[in-house]
Amino acid sequence: MIRSSNPFAQEPRYELITRVLRSNIQRGTLPEGLVLLEGPIAAVMQTSRVPVQSALRLLMSEGLVHRFEGRGYLVGPQSKGILPVRRDIREFTLDVPDEVDDALQTRGTWRHVYEEVEEQVASCQIFGEFRIVETELSDYLGVSRTVARDVLARLQERGLIRKNASSHWIAGPLTARTLREKFELRSIIEPAALRMSAPYISYAEVEQLLEKIDSGATLTPESLSDALVEFCIAQAPNMTLVEMIRSNRLLLSSVNRALTSLGLPNDEATIDQYRTLFELIARHPIDSAAEYLRDQVQITAQRNLARMKIVAVISETGAFAPYLLPQ
Amino acid sequence: MGVSSASLAAPPRRHQRRLRVRGTSITLLSQVRERAEAELGFGVDYELLEFPTCQRRAAMEPEGYDVYEQCFHNLDIVWFWGALQPIDINRITEWDNISDLAKEGGISKYAWRGHGDAPVRKLYVQPGGFLGPKPSRHISMLPTVYNMDSFGYDPRVFGMAEDPRPSWSWLLDKRAKGRIALVDEPAIGLFDAALAAEAAGELQFADIGNMTIEEINALMRLLEDRRRQGFFCGAWRDGDQAAQLLRDKSVAVQSMWSPVYGKIGPHPGSFVEAAPTEGYRAWHGGASLSRHLGGAELDMAYEYLNWWLSGYAGAVMARQGYYISTPERSRTHLSPQEWAYWYDGAPAAQDLYGPGGEWVVRAGARRAGGTYRERASRIAIWNTVMDEYNYAARAWDRFIRRIQNGTAAEDSAA
Repeated sequence: MIRSSNPFAQEPRYELITRVLRSNIQRGTLPEGLVLLEGPIAAVMQTSRVPVQSALRLLMSEGLVHRFEGRGYLVGPQSKGILPVRRDIREFTLDVPDEVDDALQTRGTWRHVYEEVEEQVASCQIFGEFRIVETELSDYLGVSRTVARDVLARLQERGLIRKNASSHWIAGPLTARTLREKFELRSIIEPAALRMSAPYISYAEVEQLLEKIDSGATLTPESLSDALVEFCIAQAPNMTLVEMIRSNRLLLSSVNRALTSLGLPNDEATIDQYRTLFELIARHPIDSAAEYLRDQVQITAQRNLARMKIVAVISETGAFAPYLLPQ
Repeated sequence: MGVSSASLAAPPRRHQRRLRVRGTSITLLSQVRERAEAELGFGVDYELLEFPTCQRRAAMEPEGYDVYEQCFHNLDIVWFWGALQPIDINRITEWDNISDLAKEGGISKYAWRGHGDAPVRKLYVQPGGFLGPKPSRHISMLPTVYNMDSFGYDPRVFGMAEDPRPSWSWLLDKRAKGRIALVDEPAIGLFDAALAAEAAGELQFADIGNMTIEEINALMRLLEDRRRQGFFCGAWRDGDQAAQLLRDKSVAVQSMWSPVYGKIGPHPGSFVEAAPTEGYRAWHGGASLSRHLGGAELDMAYEYLNWWLSGYAGAVMARQGYYISTPERSRTHLSPQEWAYWYDGAPAAQDLYGPGGEWVVRAGARRAGGTYRERASRIAIWNTVMDEYNYAARAWDRFIRRIQNGTAAEDSAA
């Protein structure tokens, strides 16, 4: 669970939105007569319309806005006979305190609950195919369906779930073939991107990493893997390729974390292997690093396939969250 | 707590050294254990478990045993869990005498290796900790006992002819509807079913030893369809359960392990061993070392492994129908009549008895499939942990649970 020291973090979203609108009306940033519409405000606040509706009703009860014959609310008290000013709220530079902004970005949104759900969804897949029911997910998490939908969208983006012919969200089954294909793709595109990235690699960063490794600093294989992508592979001057590499890695890393959390022995490439790779990148023609990377990916693939077999001994009794329905 | 004067006065009691062996009913026989203790001079404790349980606990609790006796096909689980340590072949006295079937993959250069996990493909430790057929100084499991399995059948159902040409397809044959049983181990029984499906012309597998998801789904659909029609009467996990099914459910055809014939006694009229036209489903057993072993404990474990190949244990195995990787050492522990029947496929010159003295072979009977060489050159497939094992094993378990919950009748009525 993410805990925040932000005093606004526990405030309901509609109160945060009310707070922002109120102060901007009071200081005149939002002029009298401006027509406030739910949609554009929701877009500015990056929320759904529901809390915006509540905020506007609250401001109306305070006499700061009022209803009129058209759509939306007018800024200012009802009695004055103010004329509507139809301008997009995005044209005004709203003053949003950083802490409120921060709270709006995270509170109640999918980020809050995502990690828990991802682990559950990734690990259930080794047991077979599951359907995820949106309403049960939102009940389970105690969040709105909008948030549940955001979580599902993220899971889909990571390749952890898909929609079937009847538009149900489906997770799994995770098969050896899925893994084999993902690693095969890695072994094709990552060395290619590494070759292309050669002129753009942050060699100073790579040298620093090597120094860190040699100084015996505590580094995890995961962090070195991330560094490889950020400092080297992602420097390739082909955004489409880099995006493909990132999304292809998403499922693999989710699955890896899930399997480890189920008690399987970890099976990452070792620090040594990364050391060799970074050394090749920093001090040798890029082809040698690309070849080494391809070999390493293929070896990792074999290890992961072996790992997929051993999960067969993990019993599935009571292993699933209630929103996951075995198919 | 202080040391009592009594314990000071008594002579120091020698701590008895004991070796803990975890394994299955294949090799954990009291006749073997007692002889090993007598000849090795240390205690041997057996922990006998069913296949799936044995495999899971060996993988996840390697501290609980010193030696693990199981089959090569489950190394994919236990080895890759990191539960075992490599065996140094320089410490195996009989290494050079171990049969080619284990070390080379077949009894001759030209013999067909069989689909799936031939033991040689899991034998040698390769760079990176993988297992493979390229010879190296270290092995994952010491090859010991093995056999070519088939099924048993009731000749009154399938024909009494001299040569009825038994086929794996009989495991899905409507003549035996309601009287068919399978062995409940996904690396074993699933292949009996797959061989049956192929032999019956129902399905074809591109590589029966490494099925795709679609092939596994098709096989499970076929089995489920037959289950709903009421073809299966049960599934078993060990020899006692198999023998009980034969007695209680009058099974007409089922997967079989050789010792089960001993349990039901020599009654060739009602249930006989098949030599399938499509070939055998083979397996190879062995012994591995737990990763925690070191020092004197490791020495003891090597002593035990070497003892296993020195003759006596192989003779006990032969009496339940299993071969040993060092047959010449066991020959001297068998009577000429026993050797002739079990290894040479000759008619039994007299009644023969099993490891526990039970009557298993009637005088005049011949072993189905003939000589060792005939049987060993007809291996269709090995027990195997496929790439999609996790998927297949879970689908298999669901299928077996439905058989055992006895839903066949309801479903076929629905």
